Amino acid sequence: MPVAIITGSSRGLGRALAESLLADGWTVHGFARSPQSLVHPHFQAHAVDVGTEASVQAAVATVLAAGRIDLLINNAGAASMNALLLTPAATAEALMRVNYLGTLHCLQAVGKAMVRQRAGLVVNLTTVAVPLSLAGEAAYVASKAAVEALTKVAATELQSYGIRVNAVGLGPVDTDLTRAVGADKLHTLNQRIGRPQGTTLAEAVVFIAQEWSAPSNTTGSIRYLGQLN
Amino acid sequence: MNMPTFTRDAAVRLVLARLARFGQELGQPALAMADEQTRLFGEASPLDSIGLVTLMSDLEGDIHKACGVWVTIADEKAMSRLTSPFRRVGLLADHIVEIVAATRA
Repeated sequence: MPVAIITGSSRGLGRALAESLLADGWTVHGFARSPQSLVHPHFQAHAVDVGTEASVQAAVATVLAAGRIDLLINNAGAASMNALLLTPAATAEALMRVNYLGTLHCLQAVGKAMVRQRAGLVVNLTTVAVPLSLAGEAAYVASKAAVEALTKVAATELQSYGIRVNAVGLGPVDTDLTRAVGADKLHTLNQRIGRPQGTTLAEAVVFIAQEWSAPSNTTGSIRYLGQLN
Repeated sequence: MNMPTFTRDAAVRLVLARLARFGQELGQPALAMADEQTRLFGEASPLDSIGLVTLMSDLEGDIHKACGVWVTIADEKAMSRLTSPFRRVGLLADHIVEIVAATRA
């Protein structure tokens, strides 16, 4: 039974991804700061702050005690919308800590296990806001651009170990992360990416799941949902 | 319950055993002849940068099997030392003994 770690699994897209993998016969370890209500015989919840290296290392060690790790989905993320000149430094730091450092910590801890296995797949979550250079999201976009750069370098460094590292970028999906965004802004953004009807959680899961559901040798790719590629 | 001390000899054996296994994987039987003076990076090393990363990752797994603790070999302390613990097998063994003891403390 393949084993996956999903960060940010307590709700929204992370939880939906966990449920999808469990339905497909995976064992899933969910990393989240918040309590996790998902109950399944093959789901194990871990209280993890991905922005803290020691927290990630301890949780990954617990997972490894039970065996291997085949898939890491770096889904945990934070967003904040603000004009560039009005964005507090603390906000930018917080976004970088969760979005970039969180991804880095998990990639390093799990990557070592995957090197020992000489196999593995890492999927990092990014956003269409990066290629669109979306106004009003400078700190968020910068943190996700860092994730994309990390994805490409990691793919290059880890390819020889049989480890693939890819990123997938979504537009607005109906989750807590986008709930605070105005309807007009969401509609405009959805139109820009050629999905005026928006993206459901189920559609987002299907799009991301293409990373592991079909045989592939692709690594270092950044795939965006919508008409951006 | 007190864990038995992870000795320097045990650490040297661990590193040499891993190098020998690694040598088999890479088709470099010379790695089975490594000793405490064998260089782990630089021009005189049989390992390239990818080999060194692989060795460290594999060793962290070996240390866990041997001692029951997960350690990070390339920690801040190791990276900031004037004499890199990754230069020779013996120095790496010294470093491993130190971080295992620190992790258990």
